Amino acid sequence: MAPKTASGKEKLIDDEDEVLQAVILADSFDKRFRPLTIGKPRCLLPICNAPLLDWTFESLALAGVQEIFVICRSHAEQVEAAIRESKWSRPGSGIKIVPIMTAKETFSAGDAMRDVYTRGLVTSDFVLVMGDLVSNIRIDEVVRVHKERRRTNKDAIMTIVVKESGAAHRTRPLGESSVFVLDAESSECLHYEPVSAHPPTKMTRIPREVLEAHPEIEIRNDLIDCSIDVCSVEVPSLFQDNFDYEDIRRDFLHGVLTSDLLMKNIYCYVAQDGYAARVRDTKSYDAISKDILSRWTFPLVPDDNHPSGHVYRHARGNKYMPADNSVTLARTAKIGNNTLIGASTKILEGAQITGSVIGRNCVIGAGTIVEGSYIFDGTVVGPQCVVRRSIIGAGVTIKEKTRIEKGCLVGDSVVVGPLAVLDSFERLSRKRVSEEDEEEEDEDEDDEDDEDEDEEEDDDDDEEEESDEEEEEESDEEEEEVDSEIEEIEANPVATSSILGKEANAIVWPRGPSEEADEDEIIAFRNQRVRRLGDDGSDAELSDEGSESSSDDDEDSDEESSEEYDSQGESDVPEVVMPTGTMQESEFKYEVAQSLERAFAEGHSVDNAAVELKTLRMASNVPLSHVRQAVISAIVEDINIVDGAQPQRKEIARVIGRWGELIDKIGGVDAVETVLMLQMHCASSERLPLFGQILAELYQKDIVEEDDIRAWYALPAAKGVGAEKTVENVKRCWAVGARMIEQFDEQESESESE
Amino acid sequence: MATENGPTLRVVENLAWKLRRRQIVGSRATALETLLVLRQVITKSRFSNMEQLVTIIRGVGRRLVEAQPKEHSVGNTVRKVLHHIREEYHTAMKGAATETYSGFTISKFVLLGQPRKQTVVPKTESKGTLKENDPDDPDAFARSLKPVLMEAIQDVLDELETVYDNVSKNAQNHIHSDEIILTLGMSKTVESFLISAAHHRNYTVMVLETAPSYGGRGMAKTLSTAGISTFLVPDSSLYGLMSRVNKVLLGAHAILANGGMFAITGSLLAATAAHAHSTPVVVCAGQFKLTPLWNLYHEYGALDFGDPNQVLGFEEDGLVDKVDVVNPFYDYVPPNLVDAFVTNDGDHPPSSIYRLIKETYDDEDNEL
Repeated sequence: MAPKTASGKEKLIDDEDEVLQAVILADSFDKRFRPLTIGKPRCLLPICNAPLLDWTFESLALAGVQEIFVICRSHAEQVEAAIRESKWSRPGSGIKIVPIMTAKETFSAGDAMRDVYTRGLVTSDFVLVMGDLVSNIRIDEVVRVHKERRRTNKDAIMTIVVKESGAAHRTRPLGESSVFVLDAESSECLHYEPVSAHPPTKMTRIPREVLEAHPEIEIRNDLIDCSIDVCSVEVPSLFQDNFDYEDIRRDFLHGVLTSDLLMKNIYCYVAQDGYAARVRDTKSYDAISKDILSRWTFPLVPDDNHPSGHVYRHARGNKYMPADNSVTLARTAKIGNNTLIGASTKILEGAQITGSVIGRNCVIGAGTIVEGSYIFDGTVVGPQCVVRRSIIGAGVTIKEKTRIEKGCLVGDSVVVGPLAVLDSFERLSRKRVSEEDEEEEDEDEDDEDDEDEDEEEDDDDDEEEESDEEEEEESDEEEEEVDSEIEEIEANPVATSSILGKEANAIVWPRGPSEEADEDEIIAFRNQRVRRLGDDGSDAELSDEGSESSSDDDEDSDEESSEEYDSQGESDVPEVVMPTGTMQESEFKYEVAQSLERAFAEGHSVDNAAVELKTLRMASNVPLSHVRQAVISAIVEDINIVDGAQPQRKEIARVIGRWGELIDKIGGVDAVETVLMLQMHCASSERLPLFGQILAELYQKDIVEEDDIRAWYALPAAKGVGAEKTVENVKRCWAVGARMIEQFDEQESESESE
Repeated sequence: MATENGPTLRVVENLAWKLRRRQIVGSRATALETLLVLRQVITKSRFSNMEQLVTIIRGVGRRLVEAQPKEHSVGNTVRKVLHHIREEYHTAMKGAATETYSGFTISKFVLLGQPRKQTVVPKTESKGTLKENDPDDPDAFARSLKPVLMEAIQDVLDELETVYDNVSKNAQNHIHSDEIILTLGMSKTVESFLISAAHHRNYTVMVLETAPSYGGRGMAKTLSTAGISTFLVPDSSLYGLMSRVNKVLLGAHAILANGGMFAITGSLLAATAAHAHSTPVVVCAGQFKLTPLWNLYHEYGALDFGDPNQVLGFEEDGLVDKVDVVNPFYDYVPPNLVDAFVTNDGDHPPSSIYRLIKETYDDEDNEL
C-alpha cells in the first residue's frame, strides 16, 4: 500500500511502445547446493515454498517486463515444464516467457551470453538477471535512467543495480562481495574488485587514471551486487568478440573497465529503496528466506503476492499459516516467530518450530524441535528429533530421535535414523538404487544432468567434492558424471563421526577436498566454507592458519585503510604497478619500433598508430612508461640530422608536428616523464645536440608545458643521478634545460617589467 | 468465468495482477478500475437470463477480491453494481410500481427527505418487453437489458467521481469558526472537506506528520496553499495537543458493518487520545468504503503489514538480524472511538452503519 507504487501504472503504459525484454540465466554454473541439486536445477529449489524461478519472474513482472527469455542448461526439460505449467503461461499474465535450451557446452555466464548473441534474442535494451533473484526494486526506473543516459552517451552500455546495505549485512554474500569504485556524481563504475574470503582480500588497487580523471570518487564496500544488469544490445556482442569472458563481473566488467580500446562506460544504480538479492549459496538462501519472512520484500511476501499462488495468513510475529486451515496443529505444539508452514502439514504434540520454513504435506513428529531450518515438501520428521539450521530436501524421512546439527544439507528422498546423529555441515544424498531397479531409475536419470563442471575455469566456484578424476571426465556424458561422482563417494566411504542409523539409505559426501586435490581447489574449498548455511567462521575443526575467522569489521577496516594507503602511494610514484608481461620486453620494443617505422613510412594517421600501439601494449602487457619510451625514441630517431641550424630546426618541426601528438595518445599524459625519457634517449644517441631544439619544439607544440620542464629539471634523475655510462651526456642535457629555464625566467621578468 | 471470451478474461486478469502487485492502491483508485473492468465485462459477455449475468459478475468479483482481499472497495464496487443491476432488472420486468421501499431508507431519514439519485429515474422504455430465456433469440435479453445496465454502471461511476464534493457539501455544518481541527495522513476526502469548510469558516488545522509514510506533510502543504492556517506537528506531540483540539477529523480505508474502520496507522492512537479527552472524532469517507464485514475476531494480518524499510533502514546491518520490525499500514479503529461518519449519503453514527450497508448492497452478495 506504499504510495511509491502508485505511479507504476503510468510507467507501464509508457513502456508499452517498446517491449521491455529480460534475459534470465537460469543456471548457476556452480554446485553449491549439492546434493540438493542432483535431481533438479537450482532455480527450481523452493524458497518460502515457491520455486526460485517464480520469485524471479514475479520480480521482473513487478518492473513491467513483458518478454522474458530463460536460458536453461542443466535439467532444461524440468525448467521448461515448470514454466509451461506455471501461471505465467496462462492467458492474461501479460508476460511472454520463452525457455531457451542452450547447449550442454555452455559452461559459464559468458557462454550463455554468446548464445544470446548468436540466437539474436534481444532487440533493444534488456534486463539481465540470474534465475535466483528475489527483488522488489523498480527495475523499470533503472531502465528509464539507463535509456536517458544512452541518449547523451552512446558508450554507456550497462547499468548495474546495487543495493545499499551494511558491510556485515546478513544478505551480503560473504566471500563473494566486491568493492566498487564509483564516480561520486555520475555513479559511473570506475573500478571493480572482487573480494574473496580466502585468501582474505586485504587491499584493493585503484588505477591511477581513475584518480586523475575524476575529482571525487567513492570507494564502496557496502553494496550488495544484485546481478541485475540493464544492458544495451552491444553487450552480448562484446561477449561474442571476447570469447574468453566467463563471468559477467570478474571478466566482462573488469575487461570493459580496464580496456583502453573499448572506450565503453558502465554505470551503477545505487538503489536506496527496495530489496534485491540473489540466492548464491546456502548462506544467502537462509538470509533471503529470513528477509522474505520479515517482509523486506514487500509486496512479494507470502500473504500478499506469493509467487506460487499459495494463500497464507499472516499472524503476529510474522508467522504464516495457510489460509485454507489445512494444517493440523497440535494443541501443545509451539510455533515461534518468522515461520512459514505449508498447506496440509501436520505438526504433532509438543513440536517446536522457530524461524523455519516447512513445506507442504510434511509431518513434524511429537516433541521434535526444528530451528532455523528449511524443510521441503513431503518430508516426514519423526518424534523427538532435533533439526537445527539445515536444509532438508523433499520427500526425506527422518526417523525418531535423530539429531541434525547446523549446516547440514540432506538431499531428496533420503532416509536417516533412527537415532542418527549428523555432525555440523554434513551433506547426505540417497544411495543409488541396486541393479534390479536400475532400469526404472534410468528414466529419471536421463534428465538428470549435472549442475556444472566448469569449476576449473572459475576457482571461486569450485566445490569440495570435485576430484581430479572427474575433471578428466568432463567431456563425457553428464549423467555418467553424476553417477561416477556418487560411485566414487560410495567407493570411498568417508571417515565421519556421524551416525546414520540402521534404516538409512544415505551416503555421506566428503567435506573437504580430496587428498590429491591441487592448490586451487583447496583455496576454493576454504572460500566456499564461509558461504555455507550456519557458518559463523568458528568451527574450530576447520579453522586453520590464515582462515577468515576474524570478524568482518576488522577485515573491512583493514581493507579500507590499505585502500587509502595504496591510492596515496600510487599517486606519488609515477610508475603504475603492473603485472609482469608475458612477452619479453625487448621483443615488445622491437615490435613498437617496427610498427612506428611502418606508420612513419606509410603515413598513417596519428589515431591509427595510437590504436596499434594500444593493441601491442595489451598483447604484451607492459607498463605504459615502456610504450612512451619506445615512442619517444622512435620519434627522435626519425629526425634526420641535417647540416645548418635552420634546416635542422625545420626538420624537427616537421617530425614533431606530425607525430608529437602520439606521445599523449598512447593512453596517458605525463609530460614530466616524456621530458625525462627524451633526455635519457638523447643522452645515449647521436642526436644529443638536438635535445634542446626538440624540447623547444615540444614546448612550442604544447606537448610539454613550462611547469613540466621545471618539474623535470628538479628531478634527481634529470641531473644524472643513477645514470652511469651516459652521465656526462645526461648532464649536458640538463644544462640545456637550465638555459631554457633561464629563458623562461627572463621572459617572465620582462613581461613583469613591462 | 467459463462463459467469458478471451479479451474480457485478459482485462480481469490484468487488473487482478495489478492488485496483487500493488500497482494500483487506494480505495478510490481500485474502485474506479473495478468499475471500468465490470463495464467491459458486461458489454462483451453473453447471457440470456438474469442468473447468468449475476454469475458472470460474481465470478469476476471473486477473482478480483481473491487477488487482493485487503482492498475492500473492490468487493464493495462489485456488490454495488450487482445491487443496481437487480434494481434495474426489477424495474424493467415489473415496471416502476414495485418501488415501494424507497420511502423508508435510513439515509433518506437522515437527509430529511433528500431523494436518492437512483430512485427517481424511472426506466420506462423497456417495460414489459423483457423476455428471459427466449429460445429463438438467446441474445434478446442481453440486447434489451444492456443499455439499462450501462446506465446503472454510469450511475455508480458518477457517484464515485463526485464523491469528494458530496462528502464535503455539509462541511460548514461540522466545522465552526475558530475551532482547532486535528487530522493526520493524506486523505483526499478529508482535504476537500476541510477546503470546502474554509470557504465559510475561519479555523485552524493541525496535521500530524504520520510516520512512516509522512503523508501529513503533503496534506499540510495542500491545506496551507488553500489558505487555511495549518500547523504540521510531530506524531509524538499528539497527546499533548489533544486537550486544545476541538475535533479530530480522520479519513478511512474501509468502514465496517459494526461501525469500526480501517484507517491509516496512527488513527487508532489519535482516536484513543481523543477519547481520553472526550474530543469528538469525525470520519469522512465515500459510501464505496462501506464494507459488509464485522471484524468480530480481529485478524492480525488485516492491517496490511508493509516493508520494514520505512521504519528501519536495510543498511542497519547489525540490527536487521536481531530486531523484528512491524510496519502496519492500517489501524483498526473500533466503533466506540468514532462519533460520526460523514459520507456522501448523509451523516451517520457508527451504530447505524449496518443498516446503511443493508440498503446499499443485497444480502446475498456479502459472500461473493
